[in-house]
Amino acid sequence: MKIALNKLQSWEGFLLCALIFITLLNVYLSPQFLSFSNWINLFQLSIEKVIVALVMTFVIINAEIDLSVGSMMGLSACAFGWMIQGGVPGGLVIIACLIIGVVGGAINGWFITKAGLPSLVVTLATLIGFRGLARVLVEDRGINEFPEWFDALGQQGLIGPIPFAIIAFFILFTALYIVLQRSGFGRKTYLIGTNREVADYAGINTARHKMFLFIASGLVSAFAGLLYAARVGAVRGDVALGFELDIITIVLLGGVSIFGGSGTLFGTLLAILIVLSLRNGMALTNITGHVQTGVIGLLLIGSVIAPRIHLTSFWRRLKGESL
Amino acid sequence: MPQPILRLNSISKYFGMTKALSAMSITLNSGEVHAIVGENGAGKSTIIKIMTGIHQPTSGTIELDGKASIITGPQAAREAGIVAIYQEPMVFPDLDVAENIFISDNSDGLLMRPSEQRKRASALIKRIGIKLDPSRIASGLTLAEQQAVEIARALSQDVRVLIMDEPTASLSAHEAGQLRKIAQNLAGQGVAVVYISHRLEEIFEISDRVTVIRDGSHISTKPIAEVTSDGMITEMVGRGFSKYFEKAASTTRDEVILEVRNLTLEGVFENISFDLHRGEVLCMAGLVGARRTDVALALFGVMPPTSGVVKFKGQTTKFTTPRAAIEAGIAYVSEDRRKLGLAMPMAIKSNVSIVTLDDFLSPLGLLKGEKERKAARHFVDSLNIRTPDVETPVGMLSGGNQQKVMLAKWLNLNPDLFIFDEPTRGIDIGAKAEVHDLIRSVTAKGGSALLISSDLPEVLAMGDRILVMREGHQMSILKHSEATQESIMLHATGQRQETI
Repeated sequence: MKIALNKLQSWEGFLLCALIFITLLNVYLSPQFLSFSNWINLFQLSIEKVIVALVMTFVIINAEIDLSVGSMMGLSACAFGWMIQGGVPGGLVIIACLIIGVVGGAINGWFITKAGLPSLVVTLATLIGFRGLARVLVEDRGINEFPEWFDALGQQGLIGPIPFAIIAFFILFTALYIVLQRSGFGRKTYLIGTNREVADYAGINTARHKMFLFIASGLVSAFAGLLYAARVGAVRGDVALGFELDIITIVLLGGVSIFGGSGTLFGTLLAILIVLSLRNGMALTNITGHVQTGVIGLLLIGSVIAPRIHLTSFWRRLKGESL
Repeated sequence: MPQPILRLNSISKYFGMTKALSAMSITLNSGEVHAIVGENGAGKSTIIKIMTGIHQPTSGTIELDGKASIITGPQAAREAGIVAIYQEPMVFPDLDVAENIFISDNSDGLLMRPSEQRKRASALIKRIGIKLDPSRIASGLTLAEQQAVEIARALSQDVRVLIMDEPTASLSAHEAGQLRKIAQNLAGQGVAVVYISHRLEEIFEISDRVTVIRDGSHISTKPIAEVTSDGMITEMVGRGFSKYFEKAASTTRDEVILEVRNLTLEGVFENISFDLHRGEVLCMAGLVGARRTDVALALFGVMPPTSGVVKFKGQTTKFTTPRAAIEAGIAYVSEDRRKLGLAMPMAIKSNVSIVTLDDFLSPLGLLKGEKERKAARHFVDSLNIRTPDVETPVGMLSGGNQQKVMLAKWLNLNPDLFIFDEPTRGIDIGAKAEVHDLIRSVTAKGGSALLISSDLPEVLAMGDRILVMREGHQMSILKHSEATQESIMLHATGQRQETI
């Protein structure tokens, strides 16, 4: 009972309550809300962002940030279009795009771990750089002559009505959940994010760990860019423009500390569901997009303040005990 | 007849239940350089903090110019003309000398024209008695010059009591001489200078009177002419030993496990040479700034040495990362728990398994939760760590218990060489004794220990041999039988040097 209460007092507990409340409200406003097709629709519209949010959770817990994810999604999508247009076979193109993601992530990782630059600066630079490359590839055209099987993968159900991207999301979520919360790699992710020097002095190769995370971030972003191209069936130079902000918002809303070291993938999942159902619910009740953004902004402010309140009471308790 | 400016009357200071000062009385006269000496932790910095209003005394009174006063805070201290400067000068690197001097809030610096500011700055610099162009940018100044800027800033605010806390610790010999001259010049102008230093020769050179403190108590105040360095050291280290600090029998074996020859890290330490045997405790003694931790970090691969040879278990090694040192069997228990030792918000069990995480993983890389908890519980029991459970964040534990968690994570590794860096600093006497027992049990089992400690009774109780360092130099290696607190202090302060 006490543990249950403690859980409820945590940010994740709050998110869970908020989610239940929003769901009930949505069901009251529109019985359609809980229908399977509504949820598939809901997920499908933001699927690329929520997939990248999973790996962003690792990066931020590690006390880093990757601002280049949106641009990498754009670069991957545009590179796909450019190569398809050039007549390269689809399978080969997909592999090439994923390699672009790995290389892009490695570039971020190299500057951060070897040159010792802050990830905020490095990924801000590659945010501009990757986007620039994407625009160079497609200029101001739109490319939409994709192979049929590719469009089908993005737009039709793979298992019954469930499209490939949603299946990929849940497989990825399950795998990453195990890695972050149950594996040695996950433990190191938390430790390095909490105190990198302690990890270094304990003999952990923190540079390699960070390098790995940035490569994973690049790879997953490139994958998400392909999903976008398949879902929309066309690419332009501004694909996924500004997505990084929505992605980081979701992760922080999920209770991951921007200073690293705390948060869970479960929190990120709750934040994803809240943002999706909030937007969906507000759309069903004809609330405009600007108001929707405002409400999510308020939630984000709450998520940043909440752990601080928790921290002050923690220190007070610590002080009280030592005196 | 010198005028007393500031007088502390029977000041006591408690932090919680810990006594930092008891019935401390010191009088500072105008025109004198008054040295305060004592071991690390004797209470020197607490005295400074009380004089500068950072701490309030628990009991006792303060007199300023013969009138009872309360120094309510740093601002009030500055208004009364009491200023402290430290080892690390506080200057704004992008401003010039004159701007730095007049930056503070009770001068009208911001409204002064640059030419006027420079003129007044040169006048102050002249008073100090050095040459310094007031238009130079602070980032290009030497440390000593930066300190001169701080002193000039103090003068601009009509300083009457200037406290210099280890001002020469990071200066070259020439610069230190410059700074001592400044201190004497100011005393000649009627300022009361409080001079705190570990370098005894400096104290004999410049001070008029010396106050010795020990364990927060006043021991003596004498004119410098009546003081000898041996006498001063005896007063500093005291006599009483507790039963905790009796030397246990040595477990040293013949096999040499670590051979260090002429280890040098340029600009930090040079020509460190020693052997460490299996089962032996080699203590590294010295004062703040002796560079003992740097030697440890060089051995541990954090700061690879520039020259010299290290042989570990018979093999010449060059560790460039802590990981390499750990894999070879070296553990470094840091002096800085908060920064380098423990992940404070994380659970005890997670901290205990950090170093040997691979041992707690399945072939697929998943954590074996029960094995990890069991290992943590084992150490909670055997090291007597007081905690509700192993899931408690380490940050919630007391200092002594945190220290034990840090030891536990290295015990898991079962290393051949333990480097303990100030393992008992800031923990209570009971926990201290437990840590000593633990070090002894490690060496009894054939491990070796390099123990860095500034606590002389601890050094004498633990060290089979004692390596004394001073400012990056190895002064001597003493056998336990020939070491006393006095002999260690003589070497550590540079009063005596042996060739080895």
